[in-house]
Amino acid sequence: MLKTRTWIIIIAAAAVVLAALTAVTLNLKRDSAVVEVVQDGTVIRQIDLNAVAREYSFDVFWRDGGVNTVTVRPGRICVSHADCPDLVCVNRGWLSTEVTPIVCMPHRLVIRAAGATELDAVSE
Amino acid sequence: MTKRIVRMALLTAVALIIFIVEAQIPVPVPIPGIKLGLANIITVYAMFRLGPKDTLAILLCRVFLGSVFSGQMTTLIYSLAGGLLCYASMLIMRRIVTENQVWVCSVIGAVCHNIGQIAAAMLIAQTAGLIIYLPVLMLSGVIAGLFTGLCAQFLLKRMKKL
Repeated sequence: MLKTRTWIIIIAAAAVVLAALTAVTLNLKRDSAVVEVVQDGTVIRQIDLNAVAREYSFDVFWRDGGVNTVTVRPGRICVSHADCPDLVCVNRGWLSTEVTPIVCMPHRLVIRAAGATELDAVSE
Repeated sequence: MTKRIVRMALLTAVALIIFIVEAQIPVPVPIPGIKLGLANIITVYAMFRLGPKDTLAILLCRVFLGSVFSGQMTTLIYSLAGGLLCYASMLIMRRIVTENQVWVCSVIGAVCHNIGQIAAAMLIAQTAGLIIYLPVLMLSGVIAGLFTGLCAQFLLKRMKKL
């Protein structure tokens, strides 16, 4: 049995480490601006954001009838509209060269760095 | 026996209501998988008051019924992966904490819940890169687990007669 004070120290230390890691991971950038739109593990579109000349949108449908509207602008991409319950994907906002992918778990949609996984991008 | 079933049913109902009400509250952070997880209060309470078997039954009923009632069958697999890993970790933790350290068990459980959840998401979306969200999810697990754990600890102390 550890003392309560020991537990407090262990958990506080873990929280500090995690907070530092959070600050690092959420701010990671990569060189390429090529992203891929992945649904249920299948890549359905690959887009080089730097090659985009003008804004356009497209819909991605999920098998239960749900839909995510993806908007692409020069240099950035976002989910502009969705009918999933939590709207985490919409609230996430624009993605350009950040390593953190846009995720809509209810519709199994991920917009992530293309080719090499984000993990490879980190290690480079 | 009847008393035991009634008690489990009651706790399942309470957990389910907490779960559904919480699902209506928008999460302020746009990071997939972050939530307060208030229904965890019931899981922790049951773990220390009723024992592992009953807790597993309550947890599974809540997870299944929760995804049926909230109309999100696609998210069932994440809840289940998270819930079971959380349960397994609490199974170990309940043996090594005292009654004033229930919150520790809850913190570890919540962190494990988020690990299980993101592991399931990585498998389903086939995106290893989702692991980038692991630190922030574990941090949120510490905070949420601390809150729900303290709630459960107070509940355990105040409701010794039930």
